[in-house]
Amino acid sequence: MNPNTTDPLLSVESLRTQFRTEEGTVTAVDDVSFSLEKGEVMGIVGESGAGKSVTARSIMQLIDYPGEIVSGSITFGDRDLLSLSEEEMQGVRGNEITLIPQDPMTALNPVLTVGQQITETIELHQDVSSAEARTIAIDAMREVEIPAPAERIDEYPHEFSGGMRQRILIAIGLACEPDLIIADEPTTALDVTTQAKILDLLNDLREKHGVSILMITHNLGVVAQTCDRVGVMYAGNLVETGAVSSIFARPRHPYTRTLIDAIPAVDSDRDRLYALPGSMPDLKSLPDGCNFAERCPHAVDACRTGDDPTLEPASDGEGGSHAACIRSDELDLSESAVEAGDARQQKDIADDPLLEVNGLKKHFPSGDGLFGNLSLARTDGGGLTLERRYVKAVDGVDFTINRGETVGLVGESGCGKSTVARTVMQLLEPTAGEVYFDGQPLHSLGKSAIRSLRQEMQIIFQDPKSSLNPRKTVGQIVGRGMEKHGIATGDEKRERIAELLERVGLQASDVDKYPHQFSGGQQQRIAIANALAVEPDLIVCDEPVSALDVSVQAQILNLLDDIQAEFGLSYLFISHNISVVQHICDRVAVMYLGKIAEIGSVDQVFDAPYHPYTESLLSAVPHPTPETQPERILLDGTVPSPLDPPSGCPFHTRCPKKIGDVCETDVPVPEPVGGESTHQISCHLSEADMSDPLYETGESDA
Amino acid sequence: MAFANYLAKRLGFMAVTLFLVTLITFGLTNILPGNVALLILGPNANAESIAQLEAQLGLNQPLFVQYVDWIVNLAQGDMGMSLRYNTPVVDQIAVRLPRSLLLAVSATAVSVTLSIPLGIIAAVKKNTPTDLTASMLAFLGLSLPIFLWGLVFIYAFALTINGFPTRGYVSPWVDPVGALHHLVLPASAMGVALTAYIMRMTRSSMIDELSEDYVEFARSKGLSERAVVLRHALKNAAIPVITVIAFQFSYAFGGVVVLEEVFSWPGIGRLTLTAIENRDIPLLQGCIIVIALIYMLSNFLADAFYAYVDPRIRYGGSD
Repeated sequence: MNPNTTDPLLSVESLRTQFRTEEGTVTAVDDVSFSLEKGEVMGIVGESGAGKSVTARSIMQLIDYPGEIVSGSITFGDRDLLSLSEEEMQGVRGNEITLIPQDPMTALNPVLTVGQQITETIELHQDVSSAEARTIAIDAMREVEIPAPAERIDEYPHEFSGGMRQRILIAIGLACEPDLIIADEPTTALDVTTQAKILDLLNDLREKHGVSILMITHNLGVVAQTCDRVGVMYAGNLVETGAVSSIFARPRHPYTRTLIDAIPAVDSDRDRLYALPGSMPDLKSLPDGCNFAERCPHAVDACRTGDDPTLEPASDGEGGSHAACIRSDELDLSESAVEAGDARQQKDIADDPLLEVNGLKKHFPSGDGLFGNLSLARTDGGGLTLERRYVKAVDGVDFTINRGETVGLVGESGCGKSTVARTVMQLLEPTAGEVYFDGQPLHSLGKSAIRSLRQEMQIIFQDPKSSLNPRKTVGQIVGRGMEKHGIATGDEKRERIAELLERVGLQASDVDKYPHQFSGGQQQRIAIANALAVEPDLIVCDEPVSALDVSVQAQILNLLDDIQAEFGLSYLFISHNISVVQHICDRVAVMYLGKIAEIGSVDQVFDAPYHPYTESLLSAVPHPTPETQPERILLDGTVPSPLDPPSGCPFHTRCPKKIGDVCETDVPVPEPVGGESTHQISCHLSEADMSDPLYETGESDA
Repeated sequence: MAFANYLAKRLGFMAVTLFLVTLITFGLTNILPGNVALLILGPNANAESIAQLEAQLGLNQPLFVQYVDWIVNLAQGDMGMSLRYNTPVVDQIAVRLPRSLLLAVSATAVSVTLSIPLGIIAAVKKNTPTDLTASMLAFLGLSLPIFLWGLVFIYAFALTINGFPTRGYVSPWVDPVGALHHLVLPASAMGVALTAYIMRMTRSSMIDELSEDYVEFARSKGLSERAVVLRHALKNAAIPVITVIAFQFSYAFGGVVVLEEVFSWPGIGRLTLTAIENRDIPLLQGCIIVIALIYMLSNFLADAFYAYVDPRIRYGGSD
C-alpha cells in the first residue's frame, strides 16, 4: 500500500449488476464499494456465485446480455468508466485495464499464432508498425520468461504447456503497460508447481512495473501469497475488507472465519474440518437482512431483518478492516471455530489387505497415428518409417489398501493417478500386473465375475453433474444398484434409499427429485449415497471434492470420514490437492509419470526424508497464512510426455537434486527409508541428501 | 509429420470406402432381376444366342471372376459399353460430368454466399427479431422440396420477368454468356434450397464459438465486436460448417436428379435416371461409381481444409 497517494487508481461505488433470467432477476453484485491504490494488489475472494468475476467484468464492462450494470459508479483515474461510450471503453480495455483470464487452455484462440494474439493488442492501442509490434511482443514474452521467444512467437497455443500459455496471457496483459491488471483466478487451472511459478512471476512483475492488480480467486493461499489487501464476497455482497495480515489474524466477519477454517492446512493436526452447514442462498430470492445469517453460527434475530448490513470500519481501526456485520465489534473471531478435541472419527485399520496391486501397467495405444497406434515417423537418416507408439499412463505401480484404510494417490495432472483408479476397478483392462481384491485375482477373472465383484468396489467421480444420469430420479439412481445386486427390492428398497439419503445429509423426500434440482455439493452426496447403496468394501474417490467450494468441500470430507468409520470402508482417494490428501488419508502414494515416487504414511511422506518431487510439490502449496510462506522450490520445465518418458528416473529432467549420470541411466527402485519398511522412496539419493532441505543449499532457481 | 499422417489416414479411409462402393455397386446390379444378355438381345432371342452373348460378356464366369475383371477394367478407365447408347460408358460420363460439376459448384457458391453471412448475423443477434427472420427464411428454403424452388424460380424469373431461359444447357466453352444465362435459374434454385443447412450450422457453430473464453478475452483486449467475430470466432466456427458444405456439394452433384429434370439439365443425375429406366447396367455402374467418387473427393477436400484451418491437426497436438 502506498499511503502517500491521495486519489485511488480505481474506485468502485455502490456497484450493482443484475442478470434478467426467465426465472427472475439475479443480483450478482449487490451494492459493492471498494477502492484500489496505485501499485496495490487487492484480492477478491469468495466461493462460486459470490459475484467476484461479475465485479471484475463490470469494471471492464464486459457484461453480456442479459446482464446489466444497474447502478453505481466506477472511477478509474479521473474518468467515470460507466459514462464512456463503447468505443471509448475499447480504448481502455487491453490498454489501461487488462484482463488475465482463468483458463489458459481455452482463453487463447486455437487457430491464431500466439504472436498474432499478442501483436493484435499492441497494434490496436499503440501507434506502431507491425514490425515494431512484433519486437514489443517478443520483449513481452521474454519478460514473462518464455524461453526462445523469437523462435516461438509464430507457434500456435497448443504447442505450449498450460503454464506457458498462462505466461502468454500475462504477456498480452502487460504488452501495453496497463495501470491495472484484473487477474481472474489466474492459477486455478494450473498444477501446484506451475501455480507457484506463475505467482512468483506476478509478484516480480508487480514490483518491477508498479502495476495495480485486482486478484480474483477462491484460494486464500493465493491471497496470502500475493495480496496487500483483500475483500471477501458472499452472495453478491462485499462482506469484509482489510489488510491481508489482519484478515487472517482477526477476521471481522463470521463468513471470513469459516472460509479460513474450512481449508485443510498442510501442516494441521488433521482435526475435523469446520463445515458450514447449507450453501449460498439463491441470488434470485435473497433473504431479508444479512445474506449469511442463515448459515452464520453467530446470527441473532436482528441479523434477519432489514437491508443488507453495510460495510463499516472496525471500531479499533486495526489493519483498515471493514466488515458488513452488525455484530462485528462484539465478536472476537481471531480463534478458529474448530473446537479443540473435535477430532476426526476413530477407526480401526485391520492389518489385512483388501486390495493388493502389483506391477500394474496401463499403456494406451497412441490413437493419432496412421492406423491405430502405427504412425509415420522419420528415421535417423531422414527416411520414412512406421513405429508403434504407446502412452505409458501407468508404468509399474505397487500398493496395498488395508480394510478400513484410506490410501491417497497424489500427483499433478497427467501423472496417471486416475488411470490407476480405473485400471484397479477393471474399468480399463490392465496391460500388465496383478490386482487382488479380497484375495481374488481381478486380473484373471472373467467379465461376469468382475461384474458381480463390482458391488464391492464403487467409484465417485469429480463431477457429479456428468456422472449422475440426468433423466433418472434420485430414487432410481440409488435404487438401481440395490436391485441389480439383489440387495433390496420393493418397500425394503424404498426404506433403505430413504435411510441412505438421510445418512448423507439429504432428505428422504428428495427421492423423487432429479439431479439438476440439487447444488454441486448435494449432487456429490447423491453420488456417495449411490456408492453406499450396494454396501461396498472399497470406494474409489476420484477427485471427489475438486469441483466444490471450500465450505462444501469440508462438508463432504467430513461425511466421507463419518461413513468410513460407520461402515468400515476402505478408500482409494485420488486428488491433486495435497492439503486434502494430507487431511483425509492414512497412507499416501506420490505419483510422477506413471510411477510411484514415494509411498508411506501421511506423516512419513509429508516429512523428511522426501523424494525430491514430493519436496517440491509440498513447497509449492500456497499456505493460507501470510506469515508462514515456505521457501518454494520451482521446478524447471514441464512434465515430459508419457509417450516418450525420460530414461532412468522419470524425474531426472526436472530434479533439483539430480546427482549425475546414474539418474539418467538407472531406474530407481522403491527402497525403505528411515529403517521403516512402510516408507519407500524411489530415488538414487542417500537418505541424508533426501532429508537435506533444498532451499538452504541455495540451489533453487526461478 | 502429423499432417502427413492425417492425410495418409484420410486417403486410406477413402481407399477402403471406394472398395466397398465397388463391391456394393457390382453386387446390387448383379442381384437385380433381369438377364443382361436377354435385355440386350430383346425378348425374342433364342437360348443359343443368349448363351453366346453371355460367354462373350463373361456373364457365365463365377461372380468373383466377373468382379475382378470389372475392377481391372475400371482401374484402366474402361467401364464397358452402354447398352442404351452403344458407346463406351466413359464417353457418356465424360460429357455429362463437367455439366453436373458446373451446376453443383455454382449452386454451392450461391448457397455459401447467402448462408454464411446470414448465419453470422443470426448468431451475433441471437434470439432477436433479426435472428428469427434469418432463421425463418432459411427454414423456408429447407422445407419446400427442391423441385418446387425450381418451379418458383421459373415462374418468378423466367415467366414473369421473362429474363432467363428455363431449359437446357449451353457449354461455357462455346458461348460463355449463354452458358451463364442458362445457369442462373437452376443454380439459384438449388442454392436457395441448400442455404438452410449451411446457415443453421454457421449459426449454431458461431453461437458456440462466441461463448468461448477466447472470445471474451479478445473483447477484453479492446477489440471491436466486428474484429472479435470475424477475426477470432469465424475461423473456429468454420470447421463444422466445412463438413456441411462438402455434403451439400456432393448432394447437389449427384442427388438432385429432379432439378435436372425440371430444368432439362443434361447432367449425371439425368444420365443415371436414363440408365435405370433402360436397365443399362454398365452405365448405371459407371454413374454410381463416379457419383460416389465425387462424394469422397469433396469430403477429402473438406478434411484437408480442416487441417488448413486448424493448426492442431496440421502440426499435431494433444488436445
